[in-house]
Amino acid sequence: MAEPVYVLGGYQTDFARNWQKENKHICAMVNEVVIGALEATAVEPKEVEVGHVGNFAAELYTMQGHLGAFLLEAHPDFRGMPTARHEAACASGSIAILAAMAEIEAGRYELAMVVGIEQMKTVDSARGGDFLGTAAWYEREAKGISYPFPKLFGRLGDEYDRRFGLKDEHLARISAINYANAKKNPLAQTRTWYMSEEHARSADRFNQVIGGRIKVSDCSQVTDGAACIFLASRRYAERYARRRNLDLTRIPQILGWGHRTAPIMLDEKFAESRDNPYVLPHTRQAILDAFRRARIAEVWQLDAIETHDCFTTSEYMAIDHFGLTPPGQSWQAIEEGVIELDGELPINPSGGLIGCGHPVGCTGVRQVLDAYRQVTETAGGYQVAGARKVATLNIGGSGTTSVSFVVGYPD
Amino acid sequence: MTTEMQPETETAIRLQRVVVLGANGAMGAGAAAMFAGGGCEVTLVARDLGKIEEAMATIQGIAKSERIVDGMEGMTYADGWETILADADLIFEAVAEEFELKRTLFQQVDGARPPESLVATVSSGLSIRGMAEGLSEGFRRHFAGIHLFNPPHLLTGTELIPHPDMEPGLVRALKRVLTERFGRSVIVCADTPAFAGNRIGFKVLNEVAQLAERHGVQLMDTLIGPYTGRAMAPLATIDLVGWDVHQAIVDNVYANVRDEAIDSFRLPTYMARLVQHGHLGNKTPLLGGFYRRVTHEGRAEGKRTVTEVLDPATGRYREVERELTIPFVEQIKDLNRRGRYREGLARFMEADGAEADLARRVILGYVSYALNRVGPGEVVQRYEDVDRIMATGFNWAPPSVLVDLIGLERTIQALERYDLPVPELLRAARRGEVQTPLFNLPFISPGRFFAG
Repeated sequence: MAEPVYVLGGYQTDFARNWQKENKHICAMVNEVVIGALEATAVEPKEVEVGHVGNFAAELYTMQGHLGAFLLEAHPDFRGMPTARHEAACASGSIAILAAMAEIEAGRYELAMVVGIEQMKTVDSARGGDFLGTAAWYEREAKGISYPFPKLFGRLGDEYDRRFGLKDEHLARISAINYANAKKNPLAQTRTWYMSEEHARSADRFNQVIGGRIKVSDCSQVTDGAACIFLASRRYAERYARRRNLDLTRIPQILGWGHRTAPIMLDEKFAESRDNPYVLPHTRQAILDAFRRARIAEVWQLDAIETHDCFTTSEYMAIDHFGLTPPGQSWQAIEEGVIELDGELPINPSGGLIGCGHPVGCTGVRQVLDAYRQVTETAGGYQVAGARKVATLNIGGSGTTSVSFVVGYPD
Repeated sequence: MTTEMQPETETAIRLQRVVVLGANGAMGAGAAAMFAGGGCEVTLVARDLGKIEEAMATIQGIAKSERIVDGMEGMTYADGWETILADADLIFEAVAEEFELKRTLFQQVDGARPPESLVATVSSGLSIRGMAEGLSEGFRRHFAGIHLFNPPHLLTGTELIPHPDMEPGLVRALKRVLTERFGRSVIVCADTPAFAGNRIGFKVLNEVAQLAERHGVQLMDTLIGPYTGRAMAPLATIDLVGWDVHQAIVDNVYANVRDEAIDSFRLPTYMARLVQHGHLGNKTPLLGGFYRRVTHEGRAEGKRTVTEVLDPATGRYREVERELTIPFVEQIKDLNRRGRYREGLARFMEADGAEADLARRVILGYVSYALNRVGPGEVVQRYEDVDRIMATGFNWAPPSVLVDLIGLERTIQALERYDLPVPELLRAARRGEVQTPLFNLPFISPGRFFAG
C-alpha cells in the first residue's frame, strides 16, 4: 500500500476580487495565496521541497506562462525549489495534487506545496468563452460558436432528458442551493448576490438563455482566484504534529483518488455510453476508484461532497454518478433535500463552482481545501457537523478528465 | 486559566415584514433589495405610485432579478400610517437626509407603529437621539440608526447606532441578524456626528480637497491615489459622492465636533463657491466637480471627448493631457502590482522630496485620526471596528493594516515627526499589551486595497 499523504491545510483568496481592476500581475495572486497558506499552516518555507501549480490558460488570459517559476517570487527561501505547472482544463488543480501525491508516495519529497490558480476577468465574456472552448476539441466543438461550454453541458442535460427524463425545475433547485450555501462562505464570489429558486426558474432579461436549456443561473462564475495547500508524508506530518502539539490522528489524509480520461468529443462520450447505465461511465469509474482506494463501500459513508457544478447539469450528473440515487434518478435526492447543507449528504457546502466561483485551474485545489476545512471542523458558517470523510469531483472539459479525491481520517 | 464569561443575553427579534419609507431613493431601493434577499416581505412606500414603479425597477436592477419584486407591496403615504405600518416588524426610513423631515416622519410613525416593531433610519450621520427627541419611550427603546454605504449591494459595511434607550440584548440581536441573515459587515457606533466611517473617511477627503487648493487636483489625486490603499482617488471619490453630500457631512462634523483635527473638516471656500454655482460632481456632468468630461466638436477632426480638471485657485477647468508620473509613486505601484505590499510601503516611508512628504502626512494623518476614534467617549470601542468599516464601507486599507505593513515602531516615529497624535492603541501595542500584528479580521485580504 502506498505511503499516506497528509493534508496540512492552506489558504484561498477572496473569489469576489477582480485582480485586473486592482491592476495586479498574476504573480501578486501567487504571492498572496502562498503567504496566506504559510501563515495559516505555520509551515516553514525552507522545508517546502517541491511546488506544483495547476493552471488552465494563463497564456491566453494574462499572456503569462511558466507559472511554476512564480512560486519562487513568494518567498526567498524557495530559491532552487523544483516546480512545475500542470494542465488538464478545469481539472488542472487536481492534476497538480496528483503529481505532488505521487512524489510523496514515491518517497522523493516529504513536503509539497500545491497552488491552483486562474485569472479570468482580464477579457470580456465572449472572448473568455472562446478561451474556455479550448478545453473541448476546439476546431470541432467550439470554433466559431459563442459560449461553447454552456451548450455542451446543455446537451448533457438533453441526454439525461432523452434517456431518463429531466425537469428544469430540478436544475433551478441545484442553483438555488449552491447560491444559498455560498452566502455562508465569506470567500465565495456570489456571497452578496441575490438568488431565489423562482429567479432560477424564470427566463427573463436578467436570466437569459445562454445555450439550449442553460440559463445564466445554471452557470458557474468567471472568477479570479487561487488556492494553496500543503501535502506531506507521514514522516513530515509526524514532525509537524509534534512541533505544533497536534494529534497526528487529527491531521486528515487523502484517503483515496481516482483519475480517468474519456474521449474528448462529447458525441463520442454519448455514443460510448449508449448501453451503459451511466451517461459518463469514466467519471463514474474515477469516483469508484477513489472509493476503492479509500476503502469506502458506498457513498453514504461520506459526510459531504464538493463536486464540479460548472453547470447545474454537471451536478445533476454527479448525484447519480456518486451513487446517491440509481442512474437517472438524481431528482429524487434533490426533491428529498438530501443534498442540502442540513441534508443527509450535503453537496457543495462551500457553494461550489456556481456559488463559490470557478477560477478554472484553481478549482480542484479549492475543493480539497474545502474538504480539509470540513473534516477539521474549520469551515465556519458552512460546516457540516461532524464531517470525517469528504469527497471531491473535479472535471476537465465536457466530462473528459475526471479526478476524485476522498479526504478525511482512516477508520 | 479560563474565566467564566457571563452569557450575553439576546432579545428575540422577528424580521418578517419590513416597511421601507422613501423606497425610491438609492438607499431605500438598496435596503429593500437587501431585506428581500434575506427573505423578508417588503413594503415599499413613496409619495406616489409612479415612484413605486421606479423603485421596483431600481430594485430589479440592483438584484439583477425580475422576480425579486414579486412579493413586494407598494403603498403611498396617502394610504395612511395605520395601513402602512400594520404588522410591520421593522420600519426602515430612507427619505432625504434632512433632520426636520425625518423628525416629522417619526412623529407620525410613533403614533401608529405596532408596539414591538423596530424603527431604523439610514441617516449617514445625523443625531439619532435628536431624531427621537420627544417621542414615546416605546419608540426610543426600539429605535436605531442602520447606516448603509452607497451602493449597499456592493459595500457591505453597516453602522448600527442604537438609541441610548435600546436594551443591549436588542442591540446584540440586531447586529447578529444583520450579519448572519443579510450578510452585512456590522459595527456598533456611538451617536456622534457622521458616526465612524464618514467621520474618518471625509476627514481625509476634505483634507485632500483643502490641499488641492495649493497643490492642484491632479497632483493630490496622484499622491493619495489607489496605490496608497483605496479603490478610488480621493477627489474623484468626492465627485462620485456629490459635492452637496460632501458639504453636508463635513459641515455637520465641523459644527458639532471638537477634536484634534477639526480644521480638516472646514469646507474649502472654492468648493463652497462652486457648489453655489451648481457644481455637484458627477451628478452635474456639464458643470462637473473636480473633473468633468467635455465633448468638443471640431470641424476637421469631428467629435472629441476629453477629461478636464478643475484649477481650484481660479475656478477654471483645463484639459488633462496625461497622467502625472511621479517616480516614487510609480515604483510603489510596480511593487503593489507584484503583490509586494510591505516593500511598497517601505518605499513610501523612505521616499525623498516634498511630494512624498505631503503624501505621508495625509496617510499617517488617516492612521492617527482613525485609531484615535477608538475608546471610552469615542465613536467605537474596538479598533477592529474602525478597520472593518474602512474596509467594507469605503474600500480603503484599514488603518491597522498600514501600521502592520509600515511597522509599529516606524509608524510611531513617523507620527511623532509629523506632529500627529499617537493613538493609545499603538502605545499599548508598543508596551506589549496589545497583540501584533494588529490587523486581525478574518476573510478581509489587505492586498486587495493596494492597487498596482
